[in-house]
Amino acid sequence: MSSELEIRDPVHGFIFREPTEQGIIDTSIFQRLRRLRQLALAYLVYPGAVHTRFEHSLGAFHVACRVAKQLHLPAEEERLVRLAALLHDIGHGPFSHVSEDVLKKHSNKEKIKLGQKQQVHELITAQILRSNDELGQWILEKDRAKIIGIIEGQSGYSILHDIVSGPLDADKQDYLLRDSHFCGVRYGIYDIDFLIGSLRLHADADDKYLAISRNGIYALEQFVLAKYYMKTQVYHHRIRLITDQMIERAIFLGIEKDGIGWLRDLYAYDGTEEYLKNYVSWTDDRLITKILEEPAGTRVNSIFRRLVERRLLKCILNVNQNDFADPAARMMVFAESDKFHTALEGMIADHFKIDEKDLVICKLVTFPSAVKTESQVLVVEPGRNPSHFLQESVLFGAVNQAILEQRFQVYAPVTYRDERDKNKRSREFREEILGMIGKLSEQQGSESQSGPGQELRIV
Amino acid sequence: MNAIQFVLALFDASGGRLQGRTLLQKKAYFVSLLSGVDPGLDFNAHYYGPYSAVVDSTVAQLKNLGFLGEGCMGYGVSSDGFELQRYDYTLTADGQKLLAALRASPEYRSVASAVSKIKKAGDPGYVELSIAAKTYFILDKRGKPMSPSEIRREAEKSFNWTIQPGSLERAVKFLQQVDLTEDAGQEQAV
Repeated sequence: MSSELEIRDPVHGFIFREPTEQGIIDTSIFQRLRRLRQLALAYLVYPGAVHTRFEHSLGAFHVACRVAKQLHLPAEEERLVRLAALLHDIGHGPFSHVSEDVLKKHSNKEKIKLGQKQQVHELITAQILRSNDELGQWILEKDRAKIIGIIEGQSGYSILHDIVSGPLDADKQDYLLRDSHFCGVRYGIYDIDFLIGSLRLHADADDKYLAISRNGIYALEQFVLAKYYMKTQVYHHRIRLITDQMIERAIFLGIEKDGIGWLRDLYAYDGTEEYLKNYVSWTDDRLITKILEEPAGTRVNSIFRRLVERRLLKCILNVNQNDFADPAARMMVFAESDKFHTALEGMIADHFKIDEKDLVICKLVTFPSAVKTESQVLVVEPGRNPSHFLQESVLFGAVNQAILEQRFQVYAPVTYRDERDKNKRSREFREEILGMIGKLSEQQGSESQSGPGQELRIV
Repeated sequence: MNAIQFVLALFDASGGRLQGRTLLQKKAYFVSLLSGVDPGLDFNAHYYGPYSAVVDSTVAQLKNLGFLGEGCMGYGVSSDGFELQRYDYTLTADGQKLLAALRASPEYRSVASAVSKIKKAGDPGYVELSIAAKTYFILDKRGKPMSPSEIRREAEKSFNWTIQPGSLERAVKFLQQVDLTEDAGQEQAV
């Protein structure tokens, strides 16, 4: 391996790549990933979390190479899965996942049909792979289609898709370690060497599956726990949830209330080349700078100014399902009824006389079962039928069902004089908002039952 | 109808109780096929047959919200020393309260009618339903009529399944009774 083609990575050590892969990395569309932070504004909580999609893409690529070697994939499959891992995040935009909901909301519904689990940035990834001229210099057209097939999980690519985007994918294997490293926490650490060493390829007549050997169960348990702790301690950190919601609400208001055309253009994905050309010109910092240049009276400017000055919203309610005796209210709050949440936001703003009414935000936070995606991973052992990880894991077989949790939170622009004031007002917020929820659910429940010709709904 | 409403309707129409996660998955699979109600359950063909992560997480959410109760029954120890368990789910009183409005919807009626069709076809247990699901999946995937022995060979070759004598025949009969397959001479067709 040529020493010119190695990169020193803080997580994995040396990352080696082939000339074609280097050519791809050197394209401007790939270099753009250097300007998209992996965890949006998480650096407001963890100052070190300024790493980007660029180094994560290299890391996922490196892990995919190791997995391909471990499974002894044919050379052609190995070549393709390396490219797919390298390019899997190429369609991300400013603030990555945080602006996905805005993209979903404002994309052109007539032209863009999203699948059940599909995200807009995934469509953009496929479009970039199909049409980007620079990438075209390095990847043949037939290979582009295959790489899209791998990333999207099209039929015939199961095992390669599993490596790029499955329960044990290279994406997760990299980001848990990388995010831990840059956030300065130890929650995401697991034994990657043992985990990769225990990966197996299990084939039947129809397909090939990514599986683990029996002695890999403990490494997989550790991996699942790492994911769980990263979710609870970093990805769902209280302040991170607040900043994510502030970004989302600010962009939404910038489009809907301030009527800012360039912002709408950025999020109104329509699948055209013109859209794509504009989209890829945006980065986190360019978006922040441009928003801060908008007039001071605009909502988007005001909220982003709060973000950069770290004047964040406060969480004024944080409850779970046990706080609701009434089943109808519980269902309304936790079944993600947008209409219910919007009505409640208005009531809270009016009741507590909050000036910036549109900055009262209701948010449902779900902590899924820690082992949700990994439960179906096959455990293989010579001479035995494969079984599922959940059947074999003593640890998760016992605790899996206890882990799912949903919390309903309300954020608002309030300030407290001191700790005593905070405690007093927190009690008031809780008591009064729970009362409002009761009233509102009664009101909406009776509306939904009496409305003429309305579709019957649970909520 | 969303996934939450579908699962609540499935439980209600099944008498408020389903025993075992495999049975729940396979019932949800056949009910969604037979009722034509598609709440985005997104069944994937996995090694042990059609599986929906959406059904799994919806049940977990309903349990978490107190609309389904869960009981776990141990029934011995496997040959390699692991305890065998079955998870049973029951609609709670709070869950029942939510169903009042749902029962009048056309989708609920379709779900209830599909559940009733399965009952009339002998209300098979989870093993038979699993084999029926796999059989239907194999037929659908091959896209051509197959004889029971071909299906058995395919199931054993592809999925390493040892199918007990009589089970496949019962599964085929079930599929015919619910009108998912038909007799094409000596073969079955979707």
